Amino acid sequence: MKNYLIQRGISTIFVIIAVMSLLFLLFRLVPGDPTTLVISPALDEIAQKRLLELYGLDKPLYIQYLLYMKNFFIFQWGKSFFSQEDVSAMLWYRFWNTFSLMSGAIVLALFLGMIGGILAAWKRGRSFDSGVLIGVTFFQSTPIFFTGMLFLLILSYKLGLFPTGLMHEPGLFSDTLWGTFANIDFLHHLALPLLSAVLYYLSLPLLIMRSSMIAALGSDYLLFARAKGLSNKRILFKHAARNALLPVITIFSLLIGYAMGGQVVLETVYSWPGMGLAMVEAVQHHDYPVAQATFGLMAILIIVLNFITDIVYCFLDPRIRY
Amino acid sequence: METPKINLVHQQLVIFKRNRLASVGAVIILFIIFISVVSPWIAPYDPWKMNKDKNGKVLMLKPPSEEFLLGTTLYGRDVLSQILIGTQATLLMGFVAGFCAAFLGANVGLISGYYGKMTDNILMRITDIVYGLPFEPFIIVMVIIMSPPKLWTIGLAIILITWRTTARVVRSEVLSIKERPYITLSRIRGASNLRIIYRHIVPNILPLILVYFCASIAWSVIAYASISFLGFGDPNVLSWGSMLYDVFAQGGIRAWWWFIPPGLCLSIFIISLYVVVRAYEEFANPRLRTQR
Repeated sequence: MKNYLIQRGISTIFVIIAVMSLLFLLFRLVPGDPTTLVISPALDEIAQKRLLELYGLDKPLYIQYLLYMKNFFIFQWGKSFFSQEDVSAMLWYRFWNTFSLMSGAIVLALFLGMIGGILAAWKRGRSFDSGVLIGVTFFQSTPIFFTGMLFLLILSYKLGLFPTGLMHEPGLFSDTLWGTFANIDFLHHLALPLLSAVLYYLSLPLLIMRSSMIAALGSDYLLFARAKGLSNKRILFKHAARNALLPVITIFSLLIGYAMGGQVVLETVYSWPGMGLAMVEAVQHHDYPVAQATFGLMAILIIVLNFITDIVYCFLDPRIRY
Repeated sequence: METPKINLVHQQLVIFKRNRLASVGAVIILFIIFISVVSPWIAPYDPWKMNKDKNGKVLMLKPPSEEFLLGTTLYGRDVLSQILIGTQATLLMGFVAGFCAAFLGANVGLISGYYGKMTDNILMRITDIVYGLPFEPFIIVMVIIMSPPKLWTIGLAIILITWRTTARVVRSEVLSIKERPYITLSRIRGASNLRIIYRHIVPNILPLILVYFCASIAWSVIAYASISFLGFGDPNVLSWGSMLYDVFAQGGIRAWWWFIPPGLCLSIFIISLYVVVRAYEEFANPRLRTQR
């Protein structure tokens, strides 16, 4: 166990360093390299040279690389080319905006998926089961931005029940995290993006729970539980579900990966000011410091959360010995 | 010694006979492929043409009528023709990128699983790194690096990240297969490594590879649609995703006839793929079959 943790820890650090290096290389290859973007060729030579020195671009590549690595890990992510904002301060808010949407979506999708999977397995082969399967397959197959647009058309434009985007009414702005998230206005704006995300992510936990429940329901100890005269509810939720739960936890890391990558289109549809939208806007504005930092932050979140899932899984299933 | 030949065509027929839903999916996929081939001849209008009325006024956002079966866009373009022509880029991307991703992933998995040791270590660390990348942001950055966006640059970006799933699954399957006695036997008989991999291991995991091929098509189609929707697609190529981008960017969300058809086409195509995937999955993993 201890060896496994150390081994996983080392490989996680290795992957983070590799991804960050890849990121450095990628943004070096972006057309119109940063020098020409920030430093106008119209300036005279001395001014150009001063600016190069200011940005550290006159140093050899490997020094730039080391500086980049150092700066990334001490949260010195530079200033936005576009708005002159401090990137790390900006992404701090963006991160919480994404987190508030995605953590809710994942938890709800896992919870509803497990319950749905248990019920579908119990009623397998009947119309309830097929209905659930068709429903989740539809939402899994439909690009999340299309579901989002459908909801916007029906629930916002036609019925006027929900706002058409953003996180707050224009003008409503709070400096503190608490003031940002703990109000009705926020929840009202959260409803549609949350619904789209939950429906999209629901299928995976539901299908896995369903098939692992079917396996559990066919096992001997359940036959015994039934022979004891236990109620259906007790058999389902106390006995079968506990054993079927484990495979669902493995997909937690998968869901996180999807959520970190998949929120880009979701946030764009609902103009949700999270990391995904920041990434899209930064690329559109050729705002490379923001794009690079957002990408790096997303990657590190994925890698670290996967690491945590692995460890939790290792503790939960004592049969696994590495 | 005679090796039993697996009849590939027969195998597919059995899979589809057993699962009626999958046959429906396969028929829909074939129908969409057919449409994409004949679309230039059956599209009623030039999809890029701004249609005007007699007075030279652009027919903006006209709801479906006899003249325009699915209405027109903000710039008076025929939605039906755009859907039909858009099938081509969407399918091309799906099949080519999906195939390359599954091919690359399967080979990485095969080599990694079969050779083991250092080869396995290096290839799997690379896979780990690719797993650490956020999916859509990576494609966006790759497309920007290779700008201006073209169909092949988007395809390449999709392939470079989509192969990872196939690689991991195929590797773990190869790990269990290579320990079987018949592999050892063929090694004793002096079969080369390549022969063992492609003649003896691949036929056993072909259903699994097909599962991931179909899934890769679905992922590539979704990825391409998403990238187009975000506005990073090739502006000169029509696809279902680029139509949705037009709707969203031009504020045409109230024009249901404009944005529901491309979205629905995407869903139907991807649902059909997933249904086929599930049929192959049941075949590749007989345990799932008996559980029903």
